[in-house]
Amino acid sequence: MRYVELLTEAEVRRTHEASLEVLETVGILAHFAPAREVFKKHGCIVDDETGLVRFPAEIVEKYRKLAPPSFTFRGRDPQYDRTIPDDGPIVVTGSSAPNVVDPVTGVERRATSADIANIAHLINELPGFDVFSISTLADDAPEGQFSLSRFYPALKNCLKPVRSNTPNMSDLQQVVELGELIAGGREAYAERPCINHHYCPMVSPLTMDVDSTEAVMWLTERGLPVYTTVVPNAGLTSPMTLMGTLVVGNAEFLAITVFQQMVKEGTPIIYASLPTVADMRTGAYAPGAIETGILLAAQAQLARFYGVPSGGYIGLTNAHSNDAQAGYETGMNTVLGVSAGATLLNMGGLYSSLMAFDFAKAVVDNEIAIMDKRAYRGLEFSEENLALDEIAAVGPGGSYMGRKHTKARMKTTAVLPRLANRDMRQQWEDAGRPTINDRALAEARRILAQPNEAVWDGELDARIREHFAGLVAGDATPLEADTTS
Amino acid sequence: MADAEHFDKLKQSIIDQDEDQVLAAVNAALDDGVEAKAIIDQGLLPGLNVIGEQFECEDIFLPELMQAALAFQSAMVILEPKIKEQGAEGEKKGKIVLGTVKGDLHSIGKNILKLLYETSGFEVWDLGIDVDLFQFVDKAKEVDADIIAMSALLTTTLVGQKDVIEALRDQGARDKFKVIIGGGATTKEWADTIGADGWAATAYEAVTLSTKLVS
Repeated sequence: MRYVELLTEAEVRRTHEASLEVLETVGILAHFAPAREVFKKHGCIVDDETGLVRFPAEIVEKYRKLAPPSFTFRGRDPQYDRTIPDDGPIVVTGSSAPNVVDPVTGVERRATSADIANIAHLINELPGFDVFSISTLADDAPEGQFSLSRFYPALKNCLKPVRSNTPNMSDLQQVVELGELIAGGREAYAERPCINHHYCPMVSPLTMDVDSTEAVMWLTERGLPVYTTVVPNAGLTSPMTLMGTLVVGNAEFLAITVFQQMVKEGTPIIYASLPTVADMRTGAYAPGAIETGILLAAQAQLARFYGVPSGGYIGLTNAHSNDAQAGYETGMNTVLGVSAGATLLNMGGLYSSLMAFDFAKAVVDNEIAIMDKRAYRGLEFSEENLALDEIAAVGPGGSYMGRKHTKARMKTTAVLPRLANRDMRQQWEDAGRPTINDRALAEARRILAQPNEAVWDGELDARIREHFAGLVAGDATPLEADTTS
Repeated sequence: MADAEHFDKLKQSIIDQDEDQVLAAVNAALDDGVEAKAIIDQGLLPGLNVIGEQFECEDIFLPELMQAALAFQSAMVILEPKIKEQGAEGEKKGKIVLGTVKGDLHSIGKNILKLLYETSGFEVWDLGIDVDLFQFVDKAKEVDADIIAMSALLTTTLVGQKDVIEALRDQGARDKFKVIIGGGATTKEWADTIGADGWAATAYEAVTLSTKLVS
């Protein structure tokens, strides 16, 4: 299929050149001293007093070309491994919300490790999702196990690739230890790392932080999977033009990409971003703004120019419930992204600009994801699909309904939505006028009432629990039960 | 030019968010012998009040509010030394220790708040970003602050706000300071959970909240 292209070839090239100019003349502020050493050693101009790093264009060109064309997410079960762009678009949950909308009371509250276990089970079962980025924090985390209390319930209950971040090095090392226990040793883990790390070391505009940069460097040195997201916010951290925001984000992407290649050549990366336009009336953060979709679409074009996979946080919403706003912000943005060829969509399950997870929203987003994937398949042009023989056989005035040709394709040509209502109005009234939220929550309940086949065996669990004393239980439970205790 | 005319010009130049015009009006007033304190109290501040009202009803947007505040700040660079010379320093509304918590490098919201605090008559000690919990506590004690104001954008750094409140409690100093929080990752509910004295969704609301807390 041909992708929607918002920029001409010349405009893509000019955007790239403009980004090089920013890196060369404005530079990047790098707060982590070892990162500055890496830049210095590989030909950048570094001022250790100010922390400013400037990048000669030929250095950027040399290292950005070392980035490979694909990135693989690995799950506990290899059948769920996904490589982009070829397996794309892949759909990832939104991550690290502090809160959850309680599925029983409907009231927003702090999320716990028990919620993460349930969400992991749900995402494992929902076919639209490919990667579980740990949706919430765990408020019940024991001292010293902030990240472990998120990764353990996530990995235990989900065979699909699990993705998330850690706030510091000791948490990161603990999480990798957990991965090695699951894999059965350091070597086995190095071969098939089932944890996919993600960080935002670039703080717009044009700044590299300490903690996330350190984590990215550590993981890159070890060849463990890690990718980053850049987050320019027009009017606040980037210019109030979409092109200016594209340039700032692109310069940041190039800086972190070049950094990873300098640390280890050939490190797989993703051109991922969460570009938004701040609401100038109040400064409010607006990740569901339509401009996010436009910017992600342009970025997909740039990523093809660089020969790397792309996508990001597209399809988030500012809405606080499963209302029309939640639907159109997720739907419109993701469809813009996939039609432009973005193959990574971080979109599932969050309200309130990444602040709260909702089970019903995740189920709705599963359906939107399936529609996005269908949109990406496009028309599937082929001589066979022109169906000329079939048109001749049915002839004028006939019906295609009873045909073998139809029967053979009825489940694959079109999406068969589980939630979208296609009944007549009277049928809907007779059913008690169910809302999309009612239907989605019922589906979440149905899934979570089933036993979770994804949970690992008791022997492995015992080994893990022995290794990390005081670990949270991390078990999924049916939604009717109280998950707050 | 009569004083009243100067005050009108000063007020209007703030409403117009025009830094050059503000500075010209300030200099013209000073040349005519208008006192620095009167320039602020009867010219610039009434202008800022109008700006605040316009912002609240969305007649103007955040960048316009910022420009007016920045114009006010550059006028203060001229006026403050004169006020000190004349010993006419007004009472500050309160002392604020401000910063973004440990592990978090996001500064823009915090910087907007700093500007709004200063234009609203607060005295601000800005500790910057990635601020260690003891820096907050020590600075607040050192300057005898009224309010500790902490920002966090990342959900993973939120806990830094809780740490500061707990450290204050451990040191038996919790009652000495009001603690308020804000930033993209925060909610009112989080503020209640950690025992903060207040939460604000925006920088503008944070100033209103702080004014209430110190009065």
